[in-house]
Amino acid sequence: MINLILVSHSEKLAAGLKELLAEMAPDTPVLLAAGLADGSIGTDASRIEETMNELTDDGLILTDIGSATMNAELALELYSGDRSVQFVEAPLVEGAFLAAVLSGQSKSLDEIVTGVKSEFG
Amino acid sequence: MKLSTETFREALLEAAKQMEQHKDELTDLDREIGDGDHGINMSRGFQAVQKELEAQTEYEDLGALSKQVGMTLIKTVGGASGPLYGTAFVKFAGAFKGKTEAEGDELAAAFKEATDGIKMRGKSEFGQKTMVDIWTPFYEALEQQTDLHQALDQALTDTKERVATKGRASYFGDATVGVQDPGSLSSALLLRAIVEVLR
Repeated sequence: MINLILVSHSEKLAAGLKELLAEMAPDTPVLLAAGLADGSIGTDASRIEETMNELTDDGLILTDIGSATMNAELALELYSGDRSVQFVEAPLVEGAFLAAVLSGQSKSLDEIVTGVKSEFG
Repeated sequence: MKLSTETFREALLEAAKQMEQHKDELTDLDREIGDGDHGINMSRGFQAVQKELEAQTEYEDLGALSKQVGMTLIKTVGGASGPLYGTAFVKFAGAFKGKTEAEGDELAAAFKEATDGIKMRGKSEFGQKTMVDIWTPFYEALEQQTDLHQALDQALTDTKERVATKGRASYFGDATVGVQDPGSLSSALLLRAIVEVLR
């Protein structure tokens, strides 16, 4: 099942969203790369990359604002693992909902990316 | 005008000192037209760089030094500046790979690559009142072998009068005219420290 990686400036925001997603798509694995290591607000490419190493299948990254996107793209360049990982630009909450549901239906990474893009692109 | 592994290390230690001295100024500017953390972020990042450079005094080449600095900035700066400065140094690492010295066209090309990296990462162009407005005239002055200090001073003056159309400052619109862009100022501090060591 395609994993989601939620990249947010706020750890609480990402944790709250994960809780919401569990209601809709309880089986979809959701990983978090949110906030800085000391718990403060921000995003960090190396944390995102570390989270990518925990993937149990291919992964889809969704981000909140500004530098989260820059850090996600940088993390993708730094990542040297075997999983196929993509970033898709979409409103974080709505995009994650759709992606989680599609993953729960065992769609492929490409199908999920296409689905999210066609809804929000 | 030559940069060596040793002098680049010296320049980065000087840049760390400069970021610390200008920490409040960078933060105050960012409070006016941003989210008010630029000085704190740059200080945190360059303090981490300083610590590493003091612990390790010898580097294999300019590439190895650049790579370590880039990864440290990515991990420690936070905000938008982390991936932007980090990308610049990762690009330096590629351009300087296997070289213990760089000068002339080679040096200019490395700074152009770093600038292109910043533009790619930030999806930005010259003229949007961002750090790109400092890095671009700087590598052009290196290419044309004109006065580098003068190029940086002029770039800062020009950038100050522009309207921000990129990043969080763009939400402040016309209010950004006449206020220096904090990322441009920190870029000038870094690049000035590098100019000082070119022989």
